[in-house]
Formats: sequence, structure tokens, C-alpha cells
Amino acid sequence: MIAMAPQAALAAGVLGALTLGLLRRPPARALRALVVAAVAAAMLLVVGVPVEGQVSTILLSDAKSVGWQYLIYLGALPLALWLDGTDDVLSALFLGAVLGMSLLAAAANLPMLFIALEFMSLPAYLLVARSRPGARGLEAAVKYFFAGGVAGALFMLGLSMYYADTHSLAASTDLSPLGQAGVALMAATALFKIGAFPLNWWLPDAYEAAAPEVSGFLSTAMKSAAVLFLMRLCELAPEARFAAYLPAIGAVTALTGSIMALRQERLQRLFAYSSISNAGLLIIGVGAWAAAGRTTDGVSAILFFLGAYAFMSNGTFAFIKHTGIETRAQLKGRGASMPAAAAAFTILLFSLAGIPPTGGFIAKLLLLWRAVDASLLWPAVIGGLSALISLAYYLGMTRDLWFETAQGPSLKPGAGLSLVIACAVGVVLLGAAPWLLSGLAGVPAP
Amino acid sequence: MSMPLTTLWVVPLIGAGVCALLGVRAKYAALVFSMFFVGLVAGLGVMQHSFAALSVVNEIGPVWAYGISYRLSADSLSIGLIGLTAFLNLICVIASWELEVSAGYWACFLALASALTGVFLARDLFFFYVFWEATLIPMFFIIGLWGSSNRLHAAVKFFLFTFSGSVFMLLAILALVSAHHRATGVWTWDLAVLDATTLGASAPLVFWGLVLGFAVKIPMVPLHTWLPDAHTEAPAAGSVMLAGVMLKMGVYGLLRIALPLFPNLAYESFPILGGLAAFSTIYGALCAMAQTDLKRMIAYSSVAHLGFCLLGVLSRTSQGLAGGTLQLINHGLTTGALFLMVGFMYERSHKRGLADFGDLASRAPYLAFFFGFSTLASIGLPGLNGFVGEFMALSGALATLPILAFAGVLGVTLAAAYALPAFQAVFWAPAGPGSVSDKVTDLDFRERAILWTLSGLMLWIGLAPLPWLAWFEPALRGLVR
Repeated sequence: MIAMAPQAALAAGVLGALTLGLLRRPPARALRALVVAAVAAAMLLVVGVPVEGQVSTILLSDAKSVGWQYLIYLGALPLALWLDGTDDVLSALFLGAVLGMSLLAAAANLPMLFIALEFMSLPAYLLVARSRPGARGLEAAVKYFFAGGVAGALFMLGLSMYYADTHSLAASTDLSPLGQAGVALMAATALFKIGAFPLNWWLPDAYEAAAPEVSGFLSTAMKSAAVLFLMRLCELAPEARFAAYLPAIGAVTALTGSIMALRQERLQRLFAYSSISNAGLLIIGVGAWAAAGRTTDGVSAILFFLGAYAFMSNGTFAFIKHTGIETRAQLKGRGASMPAAAAAFTILLFSLAGIPPTGGFIAKLLLLWRAVDASLLWPAVIGGLSALISLAYYLGMTRDLWFETAQGPSLKPGAGLSLVIACAVGVVLLGAAPWLLSGLAGVPAP
Repeated sequence: MSMPLTTLWVVPLIGAGVCALLGVRAKYAALVFSMFFVGLVAGLGVMQHSFAALSVVNEIGPVWAYGISYRLSADSLSIGLIGLTAFLNLICVIASWELEVSAGYWACFLALASALTGVFLARDLFFFYVFWEATLIPMFFIIGLWGSSNRLHAAVKFFLFTFSGSVFMLLAILALVSAHHRATGVWTWDLAVLDATTLGASAPLVFWGLVLGFAVKIPMVPLHTWLPDAHTEAPAAGSVMLAGVMLKMGVYGLLRIALPLFPNLAYESFPILGGLAAFSTIYGALCAMAQTDLKRMIAYSSVAHLGFCLLGVLSRTSQGLAGGTLQLINHGLTTGALFLMVGFMYERSHKRGLADFGDLASRAPYLAFFFGFSTLASIGLPGLNGFVGEFMALSGALATLPILAFAGVLGVTLAAAYALPAFQAVFWAPAGPGSVSDKVTDLDFRERAILWTLSGLMLWIGLAPLPWLAWFEPALRGLVR
């Protein structure tokens, strides 16, 4: 049962938050401490989780589930630190979403995957709706909810087709066209969640309307879980044909994401498209991993990318939260008035653009290289091209930040500077010593 | 006797960190570290020259995933270019001494020197690429923060262009490493091992990918369009580093990677690449002729000069290689001096158009002397350094494909046609109505000291090139066809 200790810690956190909420005046400090402690405890407890394969009929613990749990907790930790202690429901929702992701990482069969998927999604809709008051947040949440509902329905449809074909809920090698279609529908659900083109229309709205720290959480922890979801489907049905289309889907996603981000004025929307572009690269990576016979190398590359991205994305959204800067125009000339935050943000931008010596460079390199190695030359080239296009807005923001002169009133930065800086230090460390992450995540360095 | 090569790139990097932290007094730290850096390189050069008879110093670190390993090596070519880097970096620090700039300025220059040193030292292609790209970041800030009016545009254009070229280089490197793995089952990024890889059908793709990456940097016409903007908008010292060292990275890449790996392909493509190089010499000169901005004219002359380097190097004859390589140093000295002087004039008058000056020779005789001296060196007057390099490079081309040598000679003639009238207009012609010549006071002691040093070296190479040629010869021997 020790394999489920992290999930138990999170579940205890959910119950604890709800219990504290019963008090007439919930102690804000205790609530915040509880949320942080639950996520941190889960992170520490993963260390002790043995990699032993099947734990029960519905849960397993393999190298991937352990590695991904690290990613999920890493992505969730910043939001845990940000969360407002006065809102017990929000805290419980957040921990519930993390628990859902964590269960998704450990799910051993298709129904469990579905339950975990819904478990992580439902609180996420509410997180988006509640994180920022106002009509826009509600509208985005409703949009997000409908998209998610459709995705869930697709999965159920796919699952029933799959079951009708194989009469089993476990992995199968022999699929008829019906089963193939079923797996493809389930994969579409995963692509929905990752934000693949054209199933990503909900994503920019949701990321823009949510509070920045929630967007950071969605783009890191949620995306990591969704990528693992896609990989699990590839494993469950090794002969499924959808995997062959992943590199092309990824390439189109990466390209459209980068192009759409070019014209964005609002930072959160820009980074939403940037996250779509990165999702495209990840899908190329999953496709390459599947095409190359699901090697450890491929897993490490994806894991590293997601790990580095957890720092980059959380760092950029934390910068938005910390400084209160909402548009690109407001970025102008802020380098002089807030040098530390701006310098950290610049490092994060360089990392997102994939410029050495940062973690973002190594991440892109490893991932695209897997594609080249799997003879997926064109997706790799298009992935590289999208990275080049993205350079235009990352560099543009750097230019605005440092080379322009500030207009308008000076800003009063809020809390969270240390988080932005920590993320920047993280990407530099990952660039200078990439083995840190591969060692930490329990996946052997290739 | 050995000195860890790592110190060579770490010392300037530490210097950059110290400068960034010091704030107001950063320039003193910059000076100390730049001098220390020059001393280190000189020490290594002397050691290698006298004790080990021009041997190669290696330093090999542990292997990380995919055979990536920290692997440095210094032969005479590397040390020569690192020497140029260290020397010009010191010159830049001294030349910028009176500028009112923040600590970041000095930190950027030292960081740039560090990354450039890494490029010239790395023998593992992964680290080579990392250092290669790392040079862009400080230069981006040097142009963007301390450049002139159009700096924003120039900084982004510079970064985008050269980064795009490098991506092709990276893809080529990846394909090469993968091909080696497929053939032998061993992951390695070690240049010495990859030399022996046989690529088969994908060889041209890899070769052209590498060449594209290097050609943007050199820059070879038609990939040169980032250069005039970047060089013109950068601060004077930034232009010196840009033209003096960063352009050399491209030729260095050809010498170090593309030519040893693909000797035959390089030879077969000589009509195309050599043709573009020869075209660069003419096109660069014609563009320079059309400029009204002194700095922009010098920027275009760089395109032409690098064309000579390429022509020599690509001919793969012993004289061409030697001349092309020597021309790398020459161009660093001459163009560096010219950019600095335009910078000195700009500091005093905030103008740099040809029409903004006139009759400067009587007002600023030292400036006129050094400018004339450097101009003559730049157009290849016998007895000065430019002549030696261009002559040898052209004779290399002559031995390979005579028509290109003729085109190159046309380029030499055109150089005189843009440089001398420009000199005449600025220094001898009577000052026009809008002239700012009276604002231009003559060079002070610090500025003269810099230019005496640079001019002395130009003269030395021009009169006695043999020790310089002998220095580079061991590194180039293996490349001769």
C-alpha cells in the first residue's frame, strides 16, 4: 500500500481542507499550510514508492507513474504556494485536481483512466471559474467545461467501441477497425486535454480568463498528466494506428500555436498559445516515442521536456502575477524599474525560446532529436521552425522589457518574486547540469 | 606543463559576474579581468610555443547521456583566435573607458569574450553549439541597450538571422551524430571521432546544413543582410567585437568542422561557395561605395573582406588557407581600428555621415593619420597586413579556379574605390555648411595608445608575416587538398 502513499496524503489534504472549512472562520494560515504540506508530502512520499508494476487491478506503479507524479507535484507546488487561504473550497478543489492527476499517473486500466481524468478535470473547471471573479472567468469556465464534457463523452464512446471489439478493458494487440476507431476516439480525448490542433479552441480562453497562477498550474501539471494519458493509450493498444498520425498532428499544433502567439497583445493569451506550441512539440515527442518502439530514451526526453516546462511556464505566469503586467505594452521599459524580476523573466523567455545554455534548449534538443532518430524528419523540421517563429515574440518581449522606455504609471509588484527567481535558477541549472532532472525523476539517464 | 583550458573561458565569465555585482566600479573590474584574460592566453601561447613545440592541449571531462562530453582542445588556430578575442576585448574595455554606461555593459563584454573562447576551444559538438549560441545573448544586449537610434530593430534582426542559421547547423550536427550511432552503435559528439564517419547519401544534406549555419555568421552574400544593421547600430566597441571576432566564428566553423568532415564535398562545391565568396567581395565593395554613413560603409567592407577569407580557405591550397586565416586576424585589427575611430568621432560630434565632416586632417591630425593608415591596411597596400592576407588568399583561389581569383582582384580594386574617396571626403575636402568637424577634437592619449598598438600590429604583420603564418600552419596542414 506504500505505493499509494502520495495519493493518500493528497486525499487527506482534501478532507482536511473541507473540515477546516466547517469552522465559522476558517484559519487562513492553517489552510495554506495544509495545502502546501499536502503537495510537499506527496512529493516526498513519491521517493519511497517502489517501482513494482501492478499494485491492484486498477492501479500500478511503474517508472512512468513515479516520474510523472514528480512532474505533477512540481507543476502544482507554485499554485499551492499562491493559493488564498481564505477560500477552503478552492483549496479542496485544487488538491482534488492534483489527486486526480496523480491517480491518472497510476491508473492501470481504461475505466480507471477515465475516472481519474474526470477527477482531475471537474475541479479544474471550478478552479478557472473561481480563481478570478467576474463574468469572463465564468464564461471561460463554461467553455472549458463543455469542451471537457465533449472530450469525456468521446472517451466513453471510444471505450465502449474498444470493449465491443476486444471484450476486455486491458491492453490488447489484436484490434479490428472498430477497436481502432475506439482507441482513436480515446486518443482524441487526450489530445483535447493536451491542446492539440484543432481541439484546442477552448484553451486560450481558459488560460486567459483564469488567474495567472491557475494558468500556470493548468499548463504544467495538467498538461503533464494529459501527455502521460496519451502515452498510456499508446501502450494499451500498441498496434493502434492513431500513433502514426501523432507527429503530423504535433507539427501542425506547434506551428499554429507559434503563429497565433505572434499577434497576441495580452500576455496570458500569448503564453496560452505558446503552451499550445509546446504541446505540439510534446505530441511530436510522443509520436516519436511510439514510432521508435516505446524506448526509455523517448520517455526521458518527454519527461525532461515536461520538467523543464514546469519551471518555465510556472515562472512566466508567476511573473505576470507578481508584477501585475497584463499586456505587452505594459512590459515596455520595466527592466529598469524591476531588474530582478525582469532578469529572471528574461532567462525564462530565453529558455522558452530554446536558447542555450538553458533547460529549454536541452528539452527541445532531446525531444526533436528523438523525432529525427525515429526518421520523423519533417515533423522535427516543422517543430524547429515553430521554435524559430516563437523566437520572434520571446525576443520581442525581451526587447520591450529592456530596450524600450517605460510609459504610464510605475507598477507596484506584489509577492512572489522569489518564485520567479527560483524558476529562472531552475532552468539555468537544468541547462548547465541536465542530469539533475533525469536522476531526480527516477528514470535512468539514457 | 599544463593549464586547465577551462580557466580560459571561466575567468572572463567570473569577470562578468563580478562586474554585474560591483555596479559603479565595474569598469575597473572589467579592466583587471580583461588584462588577466590576455595574460592567460599569452601564457598559454608562450607555453605551447616554447615547451611543447606547438602541440595540442586537451581537456576531457566525463561523458553525459548520448556521448556528450565536455571536451576542450587548443591548437594554434584556437589559440590564435582566442588571442584575438582577448586582445580586442581589452581594447574595447579601454576604448569605452570614458563612456557613461551601467555595469551591465562591462559584464556583457566579458560574457561575450567567455562564450567566444568556448567556441574556439570546444571539440565536442554539443558544447560547441552551446557556446556558439551563448555568444548571441550578450551581443543582443550590447546592441539593444547601448546602440544608436535604430538599435531595437537591429538587435532583434541580428538575433533572429544568426539564430535561424544556427538551427540548420544544429540539425546537421544531430543528423551527423545519429548517423554515427547507426553505423557504429556508439553515441559520440567528439569531433575527432566524427571525422571518420561515413555518411553516404545524407552527406550533402549535413554539409549544406553546416555551411548554411556558418555562412549566415560569416556572412556570405546573400545571407548578409543582418550585418549592416547590426554593425551600424551597435556601440563602437560592440562593432569591434562583432566584426573583429564574431564574424570569424563562421570561417572557424568551416575550418574546424565542415572542411575536415567533408573534404570532397567542400572541393566539389568550390565553384558555388567560392563563387559566392568572390561575389561577396565585389558586392560588399559596391554596397560600401553607395553608403553615406561612414560606419555602414565599414560594415559593408567587412562583407567584402570576409569574402577574401572564404575564397582562400575554401580553395584548400596551402597558401589560400594560410592567407585566409591570417586575413581573419588582419580584418579584426584593421576593421576594429576603423570602427573605433568612427566611434571616437561619433562620441564627439554625434554624427557619422560622410557629408557631416570635412577638413578633419587639419583639426585632428592624429585621427587623420591613424584613419589613413588603417584605410590603407584595409584596402591591401603592400607593406601592411591586408596585402599579405589578400594576396595569399587570391593566389590560393588562382591555383584552384582562376576566374574566381580575377573576380577577387576586382574586389580589391573596388575597395580602393570606396575607401579612398571616403577618406578624402572626411579628412581633406573642405568642410561643408552643415559640417560638425569643429566638434571633433584630436585623439587623446588613451585613444592614441590603442591605435598605436593596433597600427603597430598591422605594420608588423605586413612587414614580417612569416612568424604569423608559421603559427597557424600546423593547424591548417591537414586541410590542404
